[in-house]
Amino acid sequence: MSDSQNTKIETSDEEIRKLIIARLSVLSSDMQISIGSDGSFSRDELIDHVNANDDIGHKIEEIELEWMRSWKEQATV
Amino acid sequence: MMLVTRPNYDPATRYLSAWSLVLIEEAKKKGLTVIDLAYEKARRSEVEGRLQKTNPDLVVLNGHGSDDCVTGQDGEILIQAKDNAPLLKGKVTYAVSCNSAVILGAEAGKYPDTAYIGYEKEFAMFQSRDHLSRPLEDPFAQPFMELSNHVVTSLLKGHGASESIKRAKEVGKTRIYSLLASNADANAQAVARYLWWDVQCLVCKGDQEKRAA
Repeated sequence: MSDSQNTKIETSDEEIRKLIIARLSVLSSDMQISIGSDGSFSRDELIDHVNANDDIGHKIEEIELEWMRSWKEQATV
Repeated sequence: MMLVTRPNYDPATRYLSAWSLVLIEEAKKKGLTVIDLAYEKARRSEVEGRLQKTNPDLVVLNGHGSDDCVTGQDGEILIQAKDNAPLLKGKVTYAVSCNSAVILGAEAGKYPDTAYIGYEKEFAMFQSRDHLSRPLEDPFAQPFMELSNHVVTSLLKGHGASESIKRAKEVGKTRIYSLLASNADANAQAVARYLWWDVQCLVCKGDQEKRAA
């Protein structure tokens, strides 16, 4: 894969992260999410995990992307 | 007869434990004997012993989990694939636990006359920090707990395993549409997205028609 292709993919991932962080940032500060045995996370902790691109961040991304994919599929059926 | 495990040692298990009390009351109203394994009773030795001695029709496992197991108090493994999963033979099991339908559920589902209802990925749930000591009054958690509890409510009404998750999913979807109508409420929109995740991950392995009551 060329450098330009790599750059394109990274930019896309970064855009997804920005979208997800924008969605999380509007939540109330008193909300928290329990995600399995990973624990409970406040809005700001979730944003930190997404920014850190770690396992918790990836799970949040997966959940948000699943939502978008599901409704796109339903819209095209 | 219904056996319920209710570990309680972190926010997630505290909520599952509290909301299971609603189900216990409902089962008792229907005349079922309920074995309630709460807190320190949600241990492997206790669960194994009760499953062997009482042979309940319905097993509700609340707790954390992974692909191949469901845990109890303090994360102690209660039921694990390739170990003591045969204890679930001939029963309907509902595991409110992350991922356990993948391997544990698939194994249990291979036993004859057995159904395993659970989640193929993480079970996610919102909570309000202002309600952590009052889980049953938490408006953010309510849609997630209603979805989960409806599986058991339907089983208690005599519906089969597959029909019960179908009915629970309908309850979840109805709530999602209602939340989406709250255009100005960002919290409601988020609850809808994560509730959708739980609806998608809820599955039944094994005998789809198996009844618990």
